[in-house]
Amino acid sequence: MCAHRGAAAVAAATLTLAACSGGATAQGTPAGNGQSFVSGDRGTTVFGGSNRPLAPAVTGTTLEGTRLSLSRFRGHVLVMNFWGSWCTPCRAEAPTLASLARTLRPAGVAFLGVDIRDTAASAQAFQRSFNVTYPSLNDPGDAIALAFRSTVPPAGIPTTLVISRGGRISARAIGQVSYRGLRELISKTLAQPS
Amino acid sequence: MTGVRIPSSQRAQRGARPGTGVPQRPGGTRAPSAGPLGWLRWAWHHLTSMRTALVLLFLLAVASVPGSMLPQEGIDPQAVQQYYAAHPALAPLLARLSLFNVFASPWFAAIYLLLFASLAGCVIPRTFRLAGSARQQPPRAPANLARLPFAARHETQLAPGEALAAAAAVLSGRRFRLRTGDGWVAAEKGYLREAGNLLFHLALLALLAAICLGGMFGYKANRLLVAGDSFANTATALDAFHPGRAVSPADLQPFMIALDKFQASYITSGALRGQPSRFDALIRYAPQPGVAMRRYNLRVNHPLTVDGVRVFLIGHGYAPVFRVTDGTGRVVFNGPVPFIAAEQSGFTSEGVVKVPDARPRQLGFAGVFLPTAVDAGGKLGSAFPAPLNPAVSLVSYAGNLGMDSGPAQSVYQLDTSGLRQLPVAPRPLAPGQSIKLPDGYGTLTFTGYRQWISLAITYDPGTLPALIAGMTALAGLLLSFFVRRRRMFVRAYPGPGGHTVVDVGGLARSDAAGAFETEFTTLAGEISSADRGSEPAVPAGGPAPGSRAGHAPALDDQTEGE
Repeated sequence: MCAHRGAAAVAAATLTLAACSGGATAQGTPAGNGQSFVSGDRGTTVFGGSNRPLAPAVTGTTLEGTRLSLSRFRGHVLVMNFWGSWCTPCRAEAPTLASLARTLRPAGVAFLGVDIRDTAASAQAFQRSFNVTYPSLNDPGDAIALAFRSTVPPAGIPTTLVISRGGRISARAIGQVSYRGLRELISKTLAQPS
Repeated sequence: MTGVRIPSSQRAQRGARPGTGVPQRPGGTRAPSAGPLGWLRWAWHHLTSMRTALVLLFLLAVASVPGSMLPQEGIDPQAVQQYYAAHPALAPLLARLSLFNVFASPWFAAIYLLLFASLAGCVIPRTFRLAGSARQQPPRAPANLARLPFAARHETQLAPGEALAAAAAVLSGRRFRLRTGDGWVAAEKGYLREAGNLLFHLALLALLAAICLGGMFGYKANRLLVAGDSFANTATALDAFHPGRAVSPADLQPFMIALDKFQASYITSGALRGQPSRFDALIRYAPQPGVAMRRYNLRVNHPLTVDGVRVFLIGHGYAPVFRVTDGTGRVVFNGPVPFIAAEQSGFTSEGVVKVPDARPRQLGFAGVFLPTAVDAGGKLGSAFPAPLNPAVSLVSYAGNLGMDSGPAQSVYQLDTSGLRQLPVAPRPLAPGQSIKLPDGYGTLTFTGYRQWISLAITYDPGTLPALIAGMTALAGLLLSFFVRRRRMFVRAYPGPGGHTVVDVGGLARSDAAGAFETEFTTLAGEISSADRGSEPAVPAGGPAPGSRAGHAPALDDQTEGE
């Protein structure tokens, strides 16, 4: 009698296994940092005042082969774009980013790309296609993606981060950015002293 | 799940039994008494009944069926999209019922939470009952020991009190738990049975908790890795990522894996020709960035364990390497492209090459990689899965790949709606050979090939606790199966002729085989000889007079009948 109950329980436990796991791919805000944030429209997150996460210190090699460190952009508002030449929304937003980079350069806004899961030949062809003038870091071993893992979500290519002069992430846009939307995020960050 | 719980009808009967003095509760528990508390008690009673648990278990099994019949978001989101396209009217309705995400749906959660409550509601009270039973005193000795399944009688010169003391000494020497009364000794052994039962039930709860722990804090992921490349275990670098409910992307163990070389060995002759015999993926890994890489030979069923995460080798394939020079003379593509095997005997693999930044037109290629290319009567095929004569055969397209706007594309599919097939004579390419495209669109060169592996990454913190709980449950179950609870009773009283009569009775609960018979005979013999040994002066020799050991006649028939 007890054995019957046991068998039933084990069967139940096996089935519960499937039930407990999430199943769905989490896509959205990476919780867990205790960040309080104001969520804007669609995939845009604006981080509030002191809750702005500090951008990790990363160093990489550009597609052209020069070493580049994120710390070099201190004092500038930095727009960081995670992209790949294979990614449709990245191609769709590329003209917007290239144009904003040129327009806002005099205002002290720097742009930096992080090329994800790509080859140098394809990435450089992409930059030529869209007339991208700002540098992009190559990330063959995902070291940069790893460093940004709490801010750039899964399936989050493209993701655009706006980093303040003091090196804090003030906004994040997941998916294709619009000219107006990104410009607004940059303006807000430019208004921040650090 | 609770057979132990006395059914309400029985409880009512017991309450009504004359002589127990327990008055029957009006209405019993079947019909709830007035008030919310009564209803709650009634609901709880039914939830924790075995019937409800079985119904829930059945429901859970039924509820899992659509999860295997319909495409699931968590497993194959592309298939769900295809389903939407194929059944535009039905799909939104199914989505409303969470049928594309069954295992995360509220109604599925409702079933398993109720089942969990039902199990816990059974096991926890049962645990307390068993704990009580394990501490229980032996019952009083029955008046007539001869009626017990096993009985023996002998006479002794000792006074009844002395005879009982001798019997108690024998039984306690055999680690029986004793209880004494006026003219009798009751003894019981085999409490480990209840302990085993207790262990089993507690381990069962622990097992459920461990499985849930794994589901909450574990994750599964996949990654395709081309030889020569490396990746880090971070969500953007994974092809598929299925986290548990409590997993955030920042929780992923930040190990890195680089694939140096992959080698597949195949059987080269006989009936099994072409069957794989061995896969070796020579990898390097580091538990975290900045730590020295270690070497590992990843094989099938020989996973890598790094930082508690297990990495399995689950697939492999070829990635031909292409270099594309566009119409302007610039290299616009140079790298490996994973092709997916379409058949196993020759490992003919299919894939596409997309060159969105070629000028003047975007270029696309679709075709096959043939590890051992053979021309069988004008038809191109692959005769063996190893790369003995690698070749690719491609169809070339130019136009709009559809990658500059619109929805994201699969890297394994070419949307030819905006493309024009180029008039290139179909010809298989050997490594180093090129296709020169017409109209000055450029050149594609098949420069060689690399191999790729596909990895399944699983993290389940509940595995070890579940294993321990499972083994404990098994140990408990075995204890409760093999340890029998058995009781011995001894009564001593003055008999005719000044001797003391010693009655020994024995009873084994749930004793199917005759194992207790031997034990009883031995014990009765020991008690009898202890009495004799303590006798002041008795002539030696002979079995104790009147000693008989055996079954009660009624039980004899039963045992033989089995």
